[in-house]
Amino acid sequence: MAAKGKVKKTFLSGLGADNPIFAQVLGICSTLAVTNVLKNTVVMVMGLIFVTSLSNFTISLLRNYIPSRIRMMVETLIIAAYVIIVDIVLKAYVPDISRQLGPYVGLIITNCIIMGRAEAFALSNPVGLSVADGLSAGMGYGYVLIIIAFFRELLGSGSIWGLRVLGSWWTNWFIMVMAPGAFFMLAIFIWVVRGLITEREKEEVKS
Amino acid sequence: MNPSVYPVAIFFAAIFTNNILLTNYLGMCSFLSVSREIKTSLGLGAAVIFVMAVTSALNWIVYEYILIPLDLTYLRYIVFIIVIAAFVQIVEMIIERVSETLYAALGIFLPLITVNCAILGASLFMVIRQYNFLSSFMYGFGSGIGWSIAILAMAGIRQKLKNAKIPRGLEGAGITLIITGMMALAFIGFTGMIKIS
Amino acid sequence: MKFKSKQTERMYTVLFMAIVTVVFIAVTSGIYLYTRDKIITNKTLFIKKAVLFAANIDVGDSAKDIEETYKKSIKEIRDADGKLKYMEVYAGGNGKLTGYAVIVTGPGLWGEIEAVLGFDRDLKKMTGIDFIKQNETPGLGARISEKWFREQFRDRMGPFKLVPEGTAKGGNEIDAITGASITSNAVLDIVNRTISNVREIVK
Repeated sequence: MAAKGKVKKTFLSGLGADNPIFAQVLGICSTLAVTNVLKNTVVMVMGLIFVTSLSNFTISLLRNYIPSRIRMMVETLIIAAYVIIVDIVLKAYVPDISRQLGPYVGLIITNCIIMGRAEAFALSNPVGLSVADGLSAGMGYGYVLIIIAFFRELLGSGSIWGLRVLGSWWTNWFIMVMAPGAFFMLAIFIWVVRGLITEREKEEVKS
Repeated sequence: MNPSVYPVAIFFAAIFTNNILLTNYLGMCSFLSVSREIKTSLGLGAAVIFVMAVTSALNWIVYEYILIPLDLTYLRYIVFIIVIAAFVQIVEMIIERVSETLYAALGIFLPLITVNCAILGASLFMVIRQYNFLSSFMYGFGSGIGWSIAILAMAGIRQKLKNAKIPRGLEGAGITLIITGMMALAFIGFTGMIKIS
Repeated sequence: MKFKSKQTERMYTVLFMAIVTVVFIAVTSGIYLYTRDKIITNKTLFIKKAVLFAANIDVGDSAKDIEETYKKSIKEIRDADGKLKYMEVYAGGNGKLTGYAVIVTGPGLWGEIEAVLGFDRDLKKMTGIDFIKQNETPGLGARISEKWFREQFRDRMGPFKLVPEGTAKGGNEIDAITGASITSNAVLDIVNRTISNVREIVK
């Protein structure tokens, strides 16, 4: 029972207090680029969750055998192998989306979150916990990106999932589709979340 | 376009119109964490320029002469990252033996570089855009300079912000992202200056 | 892990790395080989579909449909070295030549744009355009692949000129894509250039 509780706690922490994006501001590099189209974001996020959980799984499984001197190399290799699998699968089964994501799938390799979770968690924790941690980090990261993508596509193209939802009266904010829009959106998101969290903590202290 | 000016155009485009950080979001992690001080930004910037230029060229050679003939292009992610990691390791060893001062200035930044997505990104973009050898080198070199300009400018702005009063929740990452957005906005002004292809 | 000597530790390190590398490369290669045919078919299907769209021939989404229609209505003309020169279009299904299609490339914002352009039998009108390869920005320049943009070129003849999105009134006016002027211009350059020299390609 205790172990189960721990898995749950590990899983929830990545979604909330330890969220890789708004708490640690990690790994926003590559994946931010695809957030101007919701559909691409969802595919990318699924790839990322797949890679974080499986690489955490593998590294945790091997954690007692990896020589410490080359552990970074081994981690990178394992992550890269999973990313290649994602890339090949996308190419074979959803070629249209794979074409649009272009090099960004490959850049999942250097996403600091995956490496960070491998280093900080999988190397020193049992398999089950590590998978929970990987899933949670990936999903915590994913839902933030999906929220950002939702607003960027809505404001930038007047559509959601490629379907036009705002009428012809809406003039698209093209800046939202371009790079600055991503930076502004993310900053606003972090602002709102951190503002709320600090607000709540203050109240808790008072009561 | 005249083929001989082509690599030059790519070089300038990589710095201004297609800045790898401001239009492709690559290298954000180290950008956010290191841009607090001008001095460290300068060190990391120099290391990035050097590594990016050389690894782009190296990866081009590996891709063109090893991966394509053997039909192993699908392994390029692994191979590129190994080339980058190995190169960084070798450079670290060399400068550690050759110059104490250089090692003190650059050495500490080298391990940070292997996980900088911009380096791998440059190699991947060069493959997708089918650059030739010279163009790849110029692209890597230009992207490194572009990234360094961005981080230096950011460090300058952040030093001025040190004593500024910032709305709660926006301190640190939030305000840095907003400034980055504004910089990206400013760099859009360069669009059309150079036509890359 | 504890080792008897430095030598064995080094041996272990090298061996470990080698085994991990071999295992993972074997796994990824296996998956690659398993899906390779599918990836290649996807690619050729995509090109065939683009050619049919440019030739204004309706076709469904199923692979079989595309293959059959392509075989029936497109004839590839190659030069002595086997390089594709242009394609003849037999749209009516009665073996009569109805038009031509050519594949051309030109510079875009991020990389090469490869397009297929269809023309009628007299090379007086375009039957359509489609894009085989483009690396333009998703959400902006990549919108050239949207149907409304491609449809604009049907049954019209250039040289075309760009007007702001939503204001084209026919004639030689083409709606540009807002926020992607460079890509729009790049496409227009490719189209206008091809129009001016299509008679030399199709000979």
